[in-house]
Amino acid sequence: MKRGRTLARRAVVSLIGATALFVATGQGAKAQVAKKEPPLEVKGDASERPWKRYAGWPARDESKYNTLGNLATPPAPTQPRKITKPITGNAEKGAGLAADRDRGGSCLACHVMGPAGGANLPGNVAPDLSEIGSAGREDEWLFNYIYDARVYNPETVMPPWGSHGFFSDQEINDMVAFLKTLKSKAVFKTELDDPEKRPPPVEKRENLDPIENPGMWAVDKAQELWTQKSATAFSCNTCHNDPKASFKTWAASMPKWEPRLDKVLGVEEFITRHAKATTGADWLMETDENRAMSVYLHYLANDTPIHIDTSSPPAKAAIERGKELSQRKVGQLNMACTDCHGKSANHWIRGQWLAEPKGQYDHFPTWRTSLLAVWDIRQRFQWCQVNIRADELPPDAKEYGDLELYLASQNEGQKLSVPGIRH
Amino acid sequence: MAEKPRLKLPKEAKKGEIIEIKTLLPHIMESGQRKDKDGKPIPRKIINKFVCEFNGKAVFVASLEPAIAANPYMQFHATVEESGTFKFSWTDDDGVIITAEETITVT
Repeated sequence: MKRGRTLARRAVVSLIGATALFVATGQGAKAQVAKKEPPLEVKGDASERPWKRYAGWPARDESKYNTLGNLATPPAPTQPRKITKPITGNAEKGAGLAADRDRGGSCLACHVMGPAGGANLPGNVAPDLSEIGSAGREDEWLFNYIYDARVYNPETVMPPWGSHGFFSDQEINDMVAFLKTLKSKAVFKTELDDPEKRPPPVEKRENLDPIENPGMWAVDKAQELWTQKSATAFSCNTCHNDPKASFKTWAASMPKWEPRLDKVLGVEEFITRHAKATTGADWLMETDENRAMSVYLHYLANDTPIHIDTSSPPAKAAIERGKELSQRKVGQLNMACTDCHGKSANHWIRGQWLAEPKGQYDHFPTWRTSLLAVWDIRQRFQWCQVNIRADELPPDAKEYGDLELYLASQNEGQKLSVPGIRH
Repeated sequence: MAEKPRLKLPKEAKKGEIIEIKTLLPHIMESGQRKDKDGKPIPRKIINKFVCEFNGKAVFVASLEPAIAANPYMQFHATVEESGTFKFSWTDDDGVIITAEETITVT
């Protein structure tokens, strides 16, 4: 939203509206909120424009490939490349490439591969290749599987390492040479390194204990913001003077289709637009204030089972769009949400456990101990994109709304427990 | 400031009882080892001392070094013989001392 004079003008308009509301209900200083639509600022965006990627995130430009908002990925090849001569490559170099985590993978993210990478915490999304050298595979098959596996399996999860420009032909030859040396089972240093024996992680920390979870400070911050008077002399408290009672279940009914904006609104975007239209507070998405308020509004509804509208025509349509978006291959790595959280759910990607969508939403916003920060669900979507080498969308993108609604529908019945605490 | 130190200790105890005390302080604990995106070192800024006093007498004192992670968490025990007040102090490299207090009734 534009700042400065436009802001002041809108704040005055909102003030007039709010005053009218107070006069109408005749409550004086302690206002009651009448049962009507919550005011929303419908003009402008709910996050910074132009959207700038977060500091510290990889700065890659992946505009050549699909995002959730744009289709750009070149079509898959229809035929494998013909390999007419036996492949000669440097197996030692190939072993190094297979373990190299700077090249988009490594291969060990998904495959156990004998001694590659010291058999250090490989994943098991994909078959164990430790004995691929004795499997009777042709050089052409090995080459093309790495170059672009879609020519053999159109439904593959495997990234197109060659056709999407990760590795040169010679590098793939080196990896093929390495694969041909793999003829015996991997030897793991510890049982934890073996993905078949590694126990799935269980979150045992007390996320609502203020001593255990620094994320709980966001609740304190939001309680301060709640009564903080803006330039208009209004605060959240002016209309909502008993948040504990008023918001006991609200967050569990979000996100929701908003006809005034023709999109799904999550809690964070609702905060931005509602604050702007009432107190005039400028709490764009992905600011500390917005995140704190989102934590608080979810926290107030803790233990409420998630239950969103899935039956109205716009909700149904949005869920359908969200489902399709979760199946769209994006980025240079050419992956869809469902590749990890559907086809590969309950498997290890390197040392990280891939979970099913149910259970992935009820603890957002969450404290992240590895980053010392609160993340809301939209930032989580954005990181998933960037991490698989796809450009992220701004947090208020309508596509993220559809995706969040679909994810919420998959979490029907899950009880909110916010702020979460995660790595 | 919204982010206050967190304290967890029993409100009551028996004379001579050993109680457990937990504290959590919001603090960046910048080690001085990190570099910013231009390669310049980010200056050290940590809590270097933690003191727990009971009725004016030191009960637990710790010197903190740069390896302590952000939002320092201290968990320790104390023997209580009488009712009184625990006072906690955290000293920042810049000299500022953050304090918090909690009372306990000992029977």
